[in-house]
Amino acid sequence: MNGTEIALAVCGIIALYAAFRVMLEKDTMKKLPFLNVISFAISGSIVLLVPHPLAIVAAAAYFVGSTLESNAIASTFAGGPRNE
Amino acid sequence: MPADPLHILIAALVCWLNFVTIDILFKLPEQGGVSGAEEIGRHIEKGGGALHGGYMMGNIVSSPDASAGTLLASCGVYATGIPGGLLAALLVYIGNRICHDPGYAGTTGCITATFIVYGFTLIGFSAADFIVGMVIAILTIQGISHMHASRLLSTLWRWREG
Repeated sequence: MNGTEIALAVCGIIALYAAFRVMLEKDTMKKLPFLNVISFAISGSIVLLVPHPLAIVAAAAYFVGSTLESNAIASTFAGGPRNE
Repeated sequence: MPADPLHILIAALVCWLNFVTIDILFKLPEQGGVSGAEEIGRHIEKGGGALHGGYMMGNIVSSPDASAGTLLASCGVYATGIPGGLLAALLVYIGNRICHDPGYAGTTGCITATFIVYGFTLIGFSAADFIVGMVIAILTIQGISHMHASRLLSTLWRWREG
């Protein structure tokens, strides 16, 4: 295994671990930080798999999209928008 | 570049210090930037954690902060060097605005991380070490124990407040 493959393997293992934690956690709001870990691991994997300038855009788009979804879920549970 | 677990561990430590320092300097633990971040903070406090650390964790979930900046900067440097890191900073800036985050923690963290990661690539590290290092760093905050992570962040926040 070269350096990139080890990095990819670690990202994959962390994403799987976080996915199990999401499934095991009962409280929806506390699932979101684990989901955040998955987003980090997947975004990193995208660029490790495709080292191309456009892959940065893909990783950022995926990351911002998943963050926005978490933001929307959390804000909905909090009773809707306050000042945003 | 041969894989070196020690490089990954050092990179994780550097990433952790970069994002925690910048997030705390930019006052992320002070309050939830959006109502969802506050709600996450309150749930973490209910589970035995500390409120201000919970707010910071909620803010990390709700908008790209310095941790996301560090990850995307590492990705940028991995793909194309410093220009890639600066492109990532622009994307984080746009991401912040999309997520209704008025702050600059993400953009600042991305720019500092770009130069830190580039500097380490000159002394034998690979930017891939920093990508996986940042994933490990965020795992320690968001993915192991919310109670202990929020308490640690609250302690650091109290130092920042002086």
